[in-house]
Amino acid sequence: MNSALLKCEHLKLCYAAVAPIDFELLSGEVVALLGENGCGKSTFLKTLCGLLEPVSGVVSLLGRPLWPVSKNTWAPRERAKAVAIVRMGGVACDRMTVREFVGLGRTPYAGLLDGRTQEDERIIDDSIALLDLRKFANRWMTELSDGERSRVYLAQAIAQQVKVLLLDEPNAFLDIPRSRKLFTLMQELAKAHGMGILVSTHSVEYAEKYGDRIAVIEKGRFRCERSSEARAKGLLDWTM
Amino acid sequence: MAGETVRRIDKRILLGFGLLVSLIAVLSYLTLFSGTVGLSWSDLSLRSLPYDSVQSQIFWEIRVPRLVAAVFSGISLSVAGLSLQTLFRNPLAGPFVLGISSGASLGVALSLLAGFSFGYFGVLSAASVGAIAVTFLVMAVAARFENSTVLLIVGLLVGYFIDALVSLLIVGSDAESLRVYVSWGMGSFGRLTFDCIWIFALSTLVGLALLLLSIRYMNATRLGDDFARGLGLNVRRGRIMVLLGASLLAGTSTAFCGPVAFVGIAVPHLAFMLFKTGNHRVLLPASALCGIVLCLAACQFSSVPLNAVLSLVGVPVVLWVIIRGGGIRK
Repeated sequence: MNSALLKCEHLKLCYAAVAPIDFELLSGEVVALLGENGCGKSTFLKTLCGLLEPVSGVVSLLGRPLWPVSKNTWAPRERAKAVAIVRMGGVACDRMTVREFVGLGRTPYAGLLDGRTQEDERIIDDSIALLDLRKFANRWMTELSDGERSRVYLAQAIAQQVKVLLLDEPNAFLDIPRSRKLFTLMQELAKAHGMGILVSTHSVEYAEKYGDRIAVIEKGRFRCERSSEARAKGLLDWTM
Repeated sequence: MAGETVRRIDKRILLGFGLLVSLIAVLSYLTLFSGTVGLSWSDLSLRSLPYDSVQSQIFWEIRVPRLVAAVFSGISLSVAGLSLQTLFRNPLAGPFVLGISSGASLGVALSLLAGFSFGYFGVLSAASVGAIAVTFLVMAVAARFENSTVLLIVGLLVGYFIDALVSLLIVGSDAESLRVYVSWGMGSFGRLTFDCIWIFALSTLVGLALLLLSIRYMNATRLGDDFARGLGLNVRRGRIMVLLGASLLAGTSTAFCGPVAFVGIAVPHLAFMLFKTGNHRVLLPASALCGIVLCLAACQFSSVPLNAVLSLVGVPVVLWVIIRGGGIRK
């Protein structure tokens, strides 16, 4: 049985009116998170990666508490080596090449003056290759299309070498073939590296096809079922 | 292939640094030995005792302090400008936007126009006290608000408020005091004395150390505070260190050389155009070297007000580089 990488108990989110959440993200699985705009998906993801303090409840990452803050809580830098969040609609990153941006994924591992070792450079190259970005590597981020930029954001998170990957609508700007490729890649990453991936999306089709489980936030309630059973158990009724 | 790319970039960066260092060496020589009174190495050799000869006095009491002032100001203003542009994610930010230079101006105005005494160092102390007071005000705001934009607005408002206070002092001042104040406001590398070099050096070193220790934060915060937090960085500590370092550098330079415009805003863009990277590990030393080159070049026109030289010579050069380089934004 796969171990729980991320676990939350009676988690009450700030900003979002959602009943307390109990959830486990297991090693090797992809969980698709669905819900209407403004239901609290992004808030949930930000809370799980330690960026937003919840109102109450417990979140533990690799068995160590993330929330509430205590003596044993993750130090921010160590936490960044274990969990990463990828958001597509971020600040426009001017004056930065694709390679520089992907290299930011090595920040948690860098020394005081933000240097990169040979090993870091190899990991950055691998991440660029994995997302098929080699021909863009020296282009400015501002010269990329939204879809190309989405892949760069993901490559940066992969370079971070985390166990838990949280993705906020990663296929929002991607065409159909690239979306498929992205979800297939997520499955591969989860299986090959024992990662736990929680991905918020508006695509029910991809959620059912590529997700091991489907989580839904609907009418202030969080529910999670195996993707093969989600439709039968009424998790997707709200999409009709 | 990627390895070759890395090597090619490194080669270009090394070439750029080599070029700048060579320019600094030539300009330093010109600053020390050319001018109204031409000097040579033989005038200063150990055999040409006594040291109190006119040439020695010109060298040690005028030329060396001027060189040091230009070098430290070049470093301070350009590095402070780069850090503030990064912190606020605003290409127009610079030492002036936080009101630091205005604070120094108020201190000097109180000293020269209103007759307040600021102790042994006079105008220098006055400018320092003004710059530090505004820095603390900005730091207090920084500790209270997470949003960098709020800080930028507060800095601008404080600057306007102080400028208004200075205007009131100007209205009530006599002609001679006003002349001295206006002269200070034009900026000069010729006010630093040999005895005060260590203060300038110490402040510059401390300011630089704070910013060097913030490189990781500056590289990440370009994508926003949340992004930097996600990479495990302490955003509040990073912001305070950058503010403190930039304020110290800009405040000290303003205290010794007057409110020198242009360098803080323009040089970071110039450095980016030359080195084509946003990585602060490269951009920070590159800005410092570009700042030194620009200030030393301005030193060659010592009879003209500093701010006028920097703008008249610097603006066309930077515009040319920007147009050739394809624009500030990439």
